[in-house]
Order: sequence, then structure tokens, then C-alpha cells
Amino acid sequence: MFRLPIDAEGFPLGKGPMVMLVLFVISTFFIFGRSEEEGESLEFWIFANTHYEEYQARVPIFEAQNPGVNVQLINFGNTMHDKLLAAMLSNFGAPDLVEVEITSIGRFLKGAIDEVGFVDLRPRLESEGWMEKLVLSRFTPWSYRGQIFGIPHDLHPVVLLYRDDLFKAAGVEMTEVETWDDFIVAGKKATRDLDGDGEIDQHAIVLDRRTESDYFSLLLQQGGGFFDEEGNVIIDSELAIKTLEFFTALFNEHKIATPVYGTWHGDPSNFAAMQDGKILSILSPDWYVGILKSQVPQMSGKWKAIPMPAWHPGGRRTTTRGGTMIGMTKQCTNPDRAWELLKFTYFDRAGLVNRYETTRIIPPLKSAWDAPIFKEPDTYLGGQPLGDLFIQLAPDMPPRYQNPYWSEGADLLNDAIFAAVTEKQTPREALTELAEKVRALMAKDLGRWGEL
Amino acid sequence: MRTNRTTYRFWNQQQKIAPYLFIAPFYILFVVFMGYPLVSSLVMSLYEMRGFQSRIFVGIGNFIDLFGDPIFWKSLRNTAYFAAGTLTLQLPIALLLAILLNSKFVRGKNVLRLAFFAPVLVAGVFVAIIFNLVYDQRAGLVNNELLIFGKEIGWLNEENYVMPAVILTGVWQWAGFNMIYFLAGLQGIRQELYEAASVDGANWWQTFLHITLPSLRPVIAFVFVVSMIGSLQLFDLPYILTNGGEPADAGSTIVMYLYKNGFQFMRLGYAATIGWVLFFIIAVISIVQLRLLGIFRDE
Repeated sequence: MFRLPIDAEGFPLGKGPMVMLVLFVISTFFIFGRSEEEGESLEFWIFANTHYEEYQARVPIFEAQNPGVNVQLINFGNTMHDKLLAAMLSNFGAPDLVEVEITSIGRFLKGAIDEVGFVDLRPRLESEGWMEKLVLSRFTPWSYRGQIFGIPHDLHPVVLLYRDDLFKAAGVEMTEVETWDDFIVAGKKATRDLDGDGEIDQHAIVLDRRTESDYFSLLLQQGGGFFDEEGNVIIDSELAIKTLEFFTALFNEHKIATPVYGTWHGDPSNFAAMQDGKILSILSPDWYVGILKSQVPQMSGKWKAIPMPAWHPGGRRTTTRGGTMIGMTKQCTNPDRAWELLKFTYFDRAGLVNRYETTRIIPPLKSAWDAPIFKEPDTYLGGQPLGDLFIQLAPDMPPRYQNPYWSEGADLLNDAIFAAVTEKQTPREALTELAEKVRALMAKDLGRWGEL
Repeated sequence: MRTNRTTYRFWNQQQKIAPYLFIAPFYILFVVFMGYPLVSSLVMSLYEMRGFQSRIFVGIGNFIDLFGDPIFWKSLRNTAYFAAGTLTLQLPIALLLAILLNSKFVRGKNVLRLAFFAPVLVAGVFVAIIFNLVYDQRAGLVNNELLIFGKEIGWLNEENYVMPAVILTGVWQWAGFNMIYFLAGLQGIRQELYEAASVDGANWWQTFLHITLPSLRPVIAFVFVVSMIGSLQLFDLPYILTNGGEPADAGSTIVMYLYKNGFQFMRLGYAATIGWVLFFIIAVISIVQLRLLGIFRDE
């Protein structure tokens, strides 16, 4: 009779290790021996839950239109950017398509331009005539040295959301506010110490002094920025300094602004302060309205919106904050099919209407703007057609030039804003010091690498 | 006969090889996931890296840059602050809790033990989110409900209060965990020693000082070293609690600065340098601690 040269009893250390070994061999077989799915496969990485849910609902339509194509949507949440970076560093494992957030894209642009891990989409966009169909200024965050590495998911125009009831109670009609000077006058009337304890309980506006978000929005509104189109540091320009002086004055001189409750505008503490009537207005991009609706639905009907106050009569009444792009990685094995999926998710009118329905995000595709949904009254804003307001502002979006040094710059800008608002430095000192640091960093790299 | 000989040879061979096969998975995994990255990061620390492919040899240039970097020093100060807070606040509290739970006068020990230990079961991310609410300036439990400080303190918004807030959160999360080590140590002390001390007329403090503490020395050394290493590697709690170390890097730690350089600024060589400096700091402090606590001394 045939006998195996080993038996369970005689196996070193007994039956346990043998069982483990058998399980190891079987599982290895299953892991490495699985057959590849038939047909083409496209991998698409996402970091935002709302985007993931939207694509999950729409991808089956694409798959039905493209028999044999299998789309794998993977939502990595906040860790996605780090995973993408690792995949690009190791030149292995990156997806075909990926969404990248606006504050993260800079790090992917470091190094020589041909080392960037994304495909330049300009040739495809130009040959198919997509450039003029989209808001041109929204390509700037995703472009560098003439190449376009991503297509904008959104515009993210900003409006001023305000508590109509509380401003009216203070005798202020906010629809008459046109400039920031008007806002200061209105804000002083509405900012109040309600219980007479000497402390202000109700501030006209909430602003983030810990990070660049609100200050940078105000700077972009005037056409400023951290870097110009050529990549020069302009954060110490007179415009940037005047804007920070204005920003700090809202806290310290006019005393109409409160620092954000918690660590950012989406903090539960901030929402609690809103519900308590401590915050009367907030600079809100379109996506933030979606967050408010989901986080504080009980405030439905209490908010109204006006365009942002301008810096001078007739000036720009909006800015932009946040953003996402879709990019095709250089590891993509089927660029043509990936391009089709990209167009389906970003340029399909029905999909973009669906996106607005679920997230309140205004698409950059101009031909989608006449969809009836954008004109519909928004119950959360007491029946005001918010989509219509955003779309009126959309053509005036300021550019936001991208730069590989944005991450370092933004980190230092956060410190500079905090130092200025807490009066540890004057706005001029804080921004001059910041600009010198970033220029020194860039000069050092230029010296070492011969190019930026 | 032939079959028997073959079987004998097989057994003879496999007896020699089997032990190596059994320990092989650990060593293979160690070399792939620890050894190679360690060597690779040491090499990386000698290079300036940019983009996904470019690198230039800079020797100790990254180390020189690091020692002149004010944010690194600030992060180091914050980390040291946390470590000092851990040693002076968290560990004495853990020891005190252990002594209380070891006392025969305390009732419901099992429930209390579980209650003190439970926070460590909560993931750091959730702890940070919960304490974000606890420290809220207006509506938070500390300022509003407990009114401990009699005034509104911007725990997460004012530079001076950020690290104390992180330390207190660390106490809440880890004191119960360290308490278990101390408790195990206390239960291992021979009862006769206490009886002898009692016969000699020693009071509680003398007993604690001359019996409990010396007997706990190996446990204290272990907890001190492990807590110190954990403190120096602090990352997730302040990263989430302070939204990346803000305001003004008041919550930045060495590992957070390493992460920012490696993953946000794409300065991998510099990040590797921070990693190696951290390694040397941990190694030196651990050796000094163990020496001071007499772990290397022969009894």
C-alpha cells in the first residue's frame, strides 16, 4: 500500500503545525491561483464617500454601454493620497483613474515634469474640444508647466450664507450688502453681547484663523494667490498683506468675527454654535451647503445666501475653495477606455445633474448649467434657488495657480495667519517672513537640482 | 529495504532542515518588511530626493539641515513635553490606581479594572474625535460642564494649551493600560515581606518605599521604557486632535513632522533623516533609562 513519507503523528511538533502548513498551502493556492476576470478591467480610486456613492450608482450604466468592461471602484477615504504616492513611487499598483484633492496635488508635481505620474490630458481635451466647454480658470489648479494633469470635478464657488432672521432682528437687510465695507457696518450692528456679561455671544461671521482656508479664499477673490502663473512666490505682495490686515481687523479691530469653533468649519462644535445662534454668517462653497444639510438638517429654512461682498463696488462677488480632479495615471494600461470612463463620469449631463442633487456641487461643464434642477427652490435656504445663484457666479471663478511647493507653503501660511490674528506678528512681518522661507527653500532646490 | 533507507534519509534530512523552515517565515518577513526598509531608509537619508525618480547624494546634508530646522526643534520640544507629561503624570496615576485596586479595602475590583482598562480598547482616532468635543472652547465638557478652570480655555486653539490637552488625553487613554502592568507586579510581591515589615513596625509609607517600589523595579523599568518609546512615537492623537499640528505647530510631534515631510512635502530623504534621528534619540534614552533603573546591574 502506498504511504506518504510523513504522517501526522511523526510530524515535528505534532499535528498543530501540520494543520497550519496545510492551511498555508491551501490559502496560498487560493490567493495566487485565482483566475483573472475576463474582459477589460479599469481601476478607479476615490477618496470622498459622496463621490464614491455617486459613481457606484452610475458605473453599471457605463458597464452596460461597454460590454466586457469591468470597473473597479475603490474608496480609500483619507488615506488614498498616501497610497497613490506609494504606488507612483514604486511604479507599481497605481489605478487607471484617480481623483485627487486640491491641497494634495502639489506633492505629485515635485521633480522633473516628465516624472509626474499623471498623463498630460491637454492633447485629448483640445482635440475633442472640451477646453472651451468647461470653465477655463478651473484647469489652473491641475495644470503645471503647460501640461494638464487633471480635469476639474467642480467649481466650488463661494457665497455668503447668513442667518436672515438674526440679521433682520438686528435691523440689517443683508441683501443690501455689496462690499466688505458694507459688511463691516452690518456686522457691527449684528454682533452682540446678548446676556450683558461683557462677552460677545453673537458674532457676525465665523472665520478660520488656524488654517489658510478663509484668508486664502479672500485673497483669491481679488486675483491674488500664493504663487503666480510662472511659479513665483507672491504671498508677500501688497495685495496679500492688505488682505491679511483686513482679515485680522475683522477679529481684533472690528470684533465682528469669531474663530471657528473646534478645529475647522465642519467641526461638530461649529455646527452647535450655529444652532445656538452664535454664528450669523459663513463663507460657504457649494460643497459646504451639502455638509450643512446632512449635519444640521434642523437648521433648514434658517439660512439664506448672497454673493460674497466685493472688495470694491462692481468687483468680483465670489471666490473658490476646495476642489477635486480626475487624473489618468501613467500606469494606466488602457488609456482610451479610461478616457471614455472619465468622460462618462465628468462630462455626462445626467450624471452631473445627479451630482448636484446629492452633493450640491456645481459642475464645471457649462452646457449642464441650464438643467432645470439648478433653478429649483432650495428648501434648506427657505426656498431660495441656490443653484441659480452659484451658476450666476460660476463664470467669474478666479484662477488658483498650482505649484509643487504648495504643501510646504500652505503649512507655513497657516502659521503666519495664526501669528497675525493673535497679534504675535504684524500681517506684513508674518507674510514677509513666510515668503522668504519659501523662496529660500526653492532657491536651495534650484541650487541642488538646477531647476525647480 | 530500499524504501526503508529512503525513508530514513528523508527523516534525517528533514530533521536538520525543519527547524530552519519553521523559523524561516519570521526571518523572511523581518528581512522583507524590516531589514530592507531599514537599510533603504538609511541610504535614503543620505540623499535629497525629489519627484518619483530623481535623487542626489548629499551625505550628511540632510542631518545638517535638520539640526537647523526650527520646526523640527519645536516638534522635538512638543514630543519631549508629552513624554515628560507621560512620565510625571500618567505613570504615577497608573501606579496609584494599581495600588488602590490591589488594596483589600476597595470593592468591585473587577468592574473598576475593566473600567480603567477600557479606554485603551478605543482606537486612537476615535479618542481624538471624542476629545475634540470634550475640549471644545464653548460647549466642551471641560470648559462648560466641569467648570474646572473657571474660564473658557481654548484647549485646541491656543498654543500653550494644546500639548497639555494632548497629555491629558494620553492619561485618559493609557493610564489604565499601564495600571495592569503595575497591578501584575504588585500581585507578584511576596506577602511575607509585608508581614515581616509589619512585625518590624514599618508604617505604610516605609513599606511602600522599601518593599513595594524596589520589588516593582523591573515592572517600573519596563513600563517607563515602553511608555517613553510610545511617547516619542506619538502621532495619531495630536494629528487628529489638532488637525495636523495646528495652530502654529503647537501640536506637531517628531513623527508628525516626519509624516509631513515624507508624504505631504515629498521630501523622502529628509523624512528618512528624521526617522533615523528619532531612532537614535529612542535608543539613547532607553539605554539611559535602563541603566538608571539598574536593569543592567547584576543582583
